[in-house]
Amino acid sequence: MRRSTHSSTSIARRRFVQGSVAAATLGMVPRSVAAQAAGPWATRPAGNPPPLTFVVWQYGKIYDQIGKQFEQDWSVKLNQIIEPNVEPQVAKLTAMYAAGDPVDVSQAPVQYLSSYIDQGIAAPIDGLPGVEQYVKDFTPFTRAIAQRDGKTWGLPYFSTVWAFIYNDELLTKAGFKGKPFSSYPELIEQAKKDGVAKYPILWIAGAGFEQLPGTWFNLTWNRGGVIFDKQLNLQLGAGSVARETLKWWQSTFKEELADPNSLNLRFIPACKAFNAGQHVYLGTLHHYYISLINDQAQSPIAGKGRVLGLPGDGKTIGYTMLYFLTSATKNREWAWKLLQYLGGRTKNGEYTQAQRLAQDAMLASGYTPVMESELLRRAWAKWADVPTVLDVFRKATNFAEVVPAVYQPWYPRWSDAINVELTACLSGKITADQACDNMITALATAKRA
Amino acid sequence: MREGELSKGRLALLLNLPALAGLLLILAYPIAFAGYLSLHTVSIRQLRSGELPFAGLANFARLSEDPLFWLALRHTLVFVAASVVLEMVIGLAIALVISDERVWLSRLTRVLILIPWAVPPVVNGLLWSFIVNAQFGYLNRALYKLGLISDYVNWLGHPWLAMATVVAAYVWRTTPFNILLYHAALQGIPAQVYEAAAVDGASPGQSLRLITLPLLRPVVAVTLILRTTFSFMVFDEILAITQGGPGNDTWVAAWYTYRRAFQPPFDIGLGAASAWVLAVMVGLAALVYVRLVYRRVEYA
Repeated sequence: MRRSTHSSTSIARRRFVQGSVAAATLGMVPRSVAAQAAGPWATRPAGNPPPLTFVVWQYGKIYDQIGKQFEQDWSVKLNQIIEPNVEPQVAKLTAMYAAGDPVDVSQAPVQYLSSYIDQGIAAPIDGLPGVEQYVKDFTPFTRAIAQRDGKTWGLPYFSTVWAFIYNDELLTKAGFKGKPFSSYPELIEQAKKDGVAKYPILWIAGAGFEQLPGTWFNLTWNRGGVIFDKQLNLQLGAGSVARETLKWWQSTFKEELADPNSLNLRFIPACKAFNAGQHVYLGTLHHYYISLINDQAQSPIAGKGRVLGLPGDGKTIGYTMLYFLTSATKNREWAWKLLQYLGGRTKNGEYTQAQRLAQDAMLASGYTPVMESELLRRAWAKWADVPTVLDVFRKATNFAEVVPAVYQPWYPRWSDAINVELTACLSGKITADQACDNMITALATAKRA
Repeated sequence: MREGELSKGRLALLLNLPALAGLLLILAYPIAFAGYLSLHTVSIRQLRSGELPFAGLANFARLSEDPLFWLALRHTLVFVAASVVLEMVIGLAIALVISDERVWLSRLTRVLILIPWAVPPVVNGLLWSFIVNAQFGYLNRALYKLGLISDYVNWLGHPWLAMATVVAAYVWRTTPFNILLYHAALQGIPAQVYEAAAVDGASPGQSLRLITLPLLRPVVAVTLILRTTFSFMVFDEILAITQGGPGNDTWVAAWYTYRRAFQPPFDIGLGAASAWVLAVMVGLAALVYVRLVYRRVEYA
């Protein structure tokens, strides 16, 4: 209980000093945290539940840490099911759900959430204590992802945006010191003059949901186009921005400015290849991979990597992944408590998990107070120029703005198909026009299936 | 037969009952249930609720209209043909060498030959994904150091190279099984048969062609059936090495089934239909082998 320092005229000098220090300290803490330290997250739900279960994919030791904190704070046991990566996690979650096993909380890759909603696995969190305050704290594109059909579907795991990364040393050697490209013609011009790298550009173009297609979506969006309009009409017709972007992208391979190995590289392998110091530009990928490139322990080019926003007006894409409450939970209040530990506030009112992810792995948060915190700026400064990265965030749009169809149940099928067409196009087997035509045809097949 | 004694046939049935019950539970029930699922509309939601609307042959019709399914089948056939031939040829060659009295092999070597068979499939896939990694893989490094390549090869970036890599990884793991069976069968061929052939003036090549291979027919038939069956179901190496890529160039039938059933939008009915088609194909292949290759062998 807090005592007022003005309640007594016989106030001791020592207590006055203590009170002043406390007040000053509170002033340094982000206002939203201080004001809400005694919010609903500090209240114990009724009863003593059996162990709560969550199913996630592994990320360092974050679940050990937050799990222990939850058990200590509430004396409730956790059953942690931690799979090595996304695919087995999806299989585990769905198998448990189908079999009627108890699962309280889980997490969803952005492209799977709609399927989880559609299949009844995810449950909305509206009406639970504190949800409105969380939603108020969401960053704009977290809100766009977490809320659909008037319901809120979870709390953020982390946020990210797509950016370029360049090797400052090679750029300087190429004669462009401090002048990374600011337009696409300039990128081509620099790559052609480069002379220090066999292939100046390494694209993220390995098949996947967000790698190969993600780069194309992002380049298209940055050039003023979309892949689907709001009515889910595909925008790949003749003369469309997406089609012209693909032509341009293919030309970087044809002119041997881009490394053909790009077609086999997803995010981490591409970063490792970039760390070999043979490429000037790497793009486009999640902002936090700069922490791998500038990591002294694992990168030969540590300290030379720089983040670069997309050219022109800097428009880029991003997303937030969510933790969600499952409809299989037997105790909604306690499951909500657990969900908050993973994706929201702990008992002390802090966004503990989000702060830890920002500090340890440069992951961004889906909460505005964390993104604006001094803690995040200090942590990120180890790896990158923080204002540059935050500027990329300011210019980022929810992935689903560019590809609204990502929420459709048929989208994964279409995504499989476009990976094939994009790979064939960039490897020179078919033209960009053929690839786009095939993708249009594939849409009908995906919807029919 | 004494009174109260079971007839031979009944005794055989009785003794086989426990094994039959086990097989029914472990094999027949899941296969039948998959068949049931393939005739219904099934997703996660429906599986949980237990209400599965009957769909007739709709899943099979959808399967036949899906170009990716046919592509996966084509890839499967290529994979099966390549891997089974390699397993048979390499397995037989090594078995012949280690069975030859003139070749001395230490016990350690014999054990080493069998080690790949003991490696779990998914671990094997991971090992090979490290070996063939375009940037850091040992294969590129070795070839480059030997001067056999001037630039690192993107093994998983080209359709046929990726398929060849998966075949190589798979054959490396499974060939010891064939070696083991061929070696055992070779030990069972009486030495007198070869001695008689030698007296008649047969060359080593003729002995191989006219004695060894015909006498190995039953075991060749068994390995053909088993290896073909398992090759049709290849999954782990695909998962660990290529995940179906580049593009869809290494999508095989089991990968198709997995992706359809266990990835969004969780079309379990379609996945079950695909699994059934695969099972029927494997069954047909086994029948063909049994009719064409399998013969009883008797040493006169």
